[in-house]
Amino acid sequence: MKRFSCFIFLLSALLLCSCGKSDKPKLTMVTEATFPPYEFRTGDKVDGIDPAIIRHIADTLGYELKIQDMSFDSVITAVQSGKADVAASGITVTEDRKKQINFTVPYVTAQQVVIVKDNSPIHTTEDLKKYTIGVQHGTTGDLFVTKNIKEPQRFANGALAVTALVSGKLDAVVIDGEPAQVYLSQQTGLRLLPRPLTSEEYAFAISKKNVKLLEDFNRVLNEMKANGLLDSIIRKYKEQNTETAADLLVEDSKYFWIGVKEAFELNFIKDKRYLYLWRGFLVTLYISFFAVLMGLVIGFVVALIRSTAIQTGRYKIPDFFCRMYLTVIRGTPVVVQLLIIYFVIFGSWDIDKVLVAVIAFGINSGAYVAEIFRAGIMSIDKGQMEAGRSLGLSYFQTMREIVIPQAFKNVLPALGNEFIVLLKETSVSGYIALQDLTKGGDIIRSQTYDAFFPLIAVALIYLAVVIFLSSLMGKLEKRLKENE
Amino acid sequence: MNENIFEVKGLVKEFQGGVKALNNVDAEVRKGEVLFIVGPSGSGKSTFLRCLNLLETPTSGHIFFKGTDVTDKKNNINKFRQQVGMVFQHFNLFPNLTIHKNITLAPVKTGRLTAKEASDKADMLLKRIGLFDKRDSYPSQLSGGQKQRIAIIRALAMNPDVLLFDEPTSALDPEMVGEVLSLMKELAREGMTMAVVTHEIGFAAEVADRIFFMDHGQIVISGTPDEVIRNPDNPRAKEFFSKVL
Repeated sequence: MKRFSCFIFLLSALLLCSCGKSDKPKLTMVTEATFPPYEFRTGDKVDGIDPAIIRHIADTLGYELKIQDMSFDSVITAVQSGKADVAASGITVTEDRKKQINFTVPYVTAQQVVIVKDNSPIHTTEDLKKYTIGVQHGTTGDLFVTKNIKEPQRFANGALAVTALVSGKLDAVVIDGEPAQVYLSQQTGLRLLPRPLTSEEYAFAISKKNVKLLEDFNRVLNEMKANGLLDSIIRKYKEQNTETAADLLVEDSKYFWIGVKEAFELNFIKDKRYLYLWRGFLVTLYISFFAVLMGLVIGFVVALIRSTAIQTGRYKIPDFFCRMYLTVIRGTPVVVQLLIIYFVIFGSWDIDKVLVAVIAFGINSGAYVAEIFRAGIMSIDKGQMEAGRSLGLSYFQTMREIVIPQAFKNVLPALGNEFIVLLKETSVSGYIALQDLTKGGDIIRSQTYDAFFPLIAVALIYLAVVIFLSSLMGKLEKRLKENE
Repeated sequence: MNENIFEVKGLVKEFQGGVKALNNVDAEVRKGEVLFIVGPSGSGKSTFLRCLNLLETPTSGHIFFKGTDVTDKKNNINKFRQQVGMVFQHFNLFPNLTIHKNITLAPVKTGRLTAKEASDKADMLLKRIGLFDKRDSYPSQLSGGQKQRIAIIRALAMNPDVLLFDEPTSALDPEMVGEVLSLMKELAREGMTMAVVTHEIGFAAEVADRIFFMDHGQIVISGTPDEVIRNPDNPRAKEFFSKVL
């Protein structure tokens, strides 16, 4: 046990040290790169209008730019909590958001438009009320539709909403005008309603505490507006985007009619997209592995304290804290715990997100492992403890030599199950913008607008790992059974 | 004073819910004697035995072991128990350890013997009871009688001053009772101090130096087998033995 905890400590120290060494001050920008042409992924990098503008500003101001890709729901929180300096994710200026953060001068005026199918009976925005509307969660479109029309279906990104529209799950999608053009050029059988739903301004979000940075940004942005650089950046990406979209269109129409092989190539081979799955897979394994170790250590200690308290009446106070821990951790969703640990507990630390995930899932798993271990310890006949004690062994000697080895064997199946659950639970890592296996599939989906292949591939990989784990546990159980 | 291994004074044990299992018991276990404790079910005889090595914490009263008050909180309970062996009704061998390890674990872990000494001693004891070939087996591979004999030598391996037996044959099939009783008889002959709770009245009458007859948490009469079993001058004892003999 001791060696485990040392190992984890070393690892965390390593992770902490490895973040960033540079003489230039850092500027961290957060975005969700599924919003072309404003931000999108090309290979491993995030590109688009927002990154290009911010890069220019960072260069002018003498910062080293670091871009983090995370879910749109979290970008403003990230800036507020100090995890990032600026959010640039095609964010619309709204009164509500202004209460939480400062906006720079707007760099673009955008519209929320409505996409429907060609044969749709929807012709004006007034018709929308009676139909199912899809939006990207947390966007202005979402806010507007929710407030003024009806409760919409919320999707993680626009691409998913459009996919749902194409497959008939939605009647209309409300989305920003720019990406709408892109989707329209990629998918046949879609059209725009003639009048946009709203018109709005995009700006960058900066923490209210960081007034100096806001002034700097505004100064450079105004310069860029004046010398035409802003316009040329925006134009360049828009043109480029319709071109790539045209490429995709060909691929897509082929995909729909020709078949599986092309779809496979589009989703996994083209642009080396399989790398998203592979890297995500490694991240998932890494998080799961260390979270399991941490969970085992925590669970073991907590179970020992709890069962000692129950059986001997000692350790009343530690037992109280253990019970609190179990109640809180088992009583709240792991996603919420993950977000709290990332945004609240480590809010103002520049800490590696993988480490955050390991800690969050480790603490979570520890609670379940603790109860599994405790059940195991308490299932051992109390004659075993009495026999050990009657021979003059101490309580802990008897625990270590007699009770725990037997308990461990009894709870092995339940432990194996907990590891499997943990592995799958790490799929919510995407909430703090970790690119785990699930998120890897999401990225492919957002690039190819295909739900089937990326999701099935992700599912199959999880399944394979679980089957492998199960067989491993089975072998271990069998080996322990032999010694009886 | 030195004659007595245990001296019990005013021992009371009250379980949760107010059941008084022992009601003011005074007794002693003398060095080298074979003491049997008999009586009807629920009379407190097992509780009395389990109080002797403090598996049950007395509610009040004192227990002196070789002159030291072991009910005193400051007394080192583990050190004390190392000198008092116990054999249980359900054997309580450690199923996760081999027979050899079952015997050597406590002497080594408590520092009473080195690994080598403990191993030699275990082998010697195993040979003595004719189970050396089971040395590397696990408890689940043994019969009940074999398990109980292993449990006895496991306690012996600690070189205890006294052995406590808590109904050692009650969980055994009838054909296995003999092998356990004969081992106990052998130990008695060698001068081992023993306190035995049992329902085997015939065996008690044959082997015991002294017998306690307990009822309702008290020792009703004590004395030689003749005095207690064959000619008791106590109506409750008379009634009990007339039924079981």
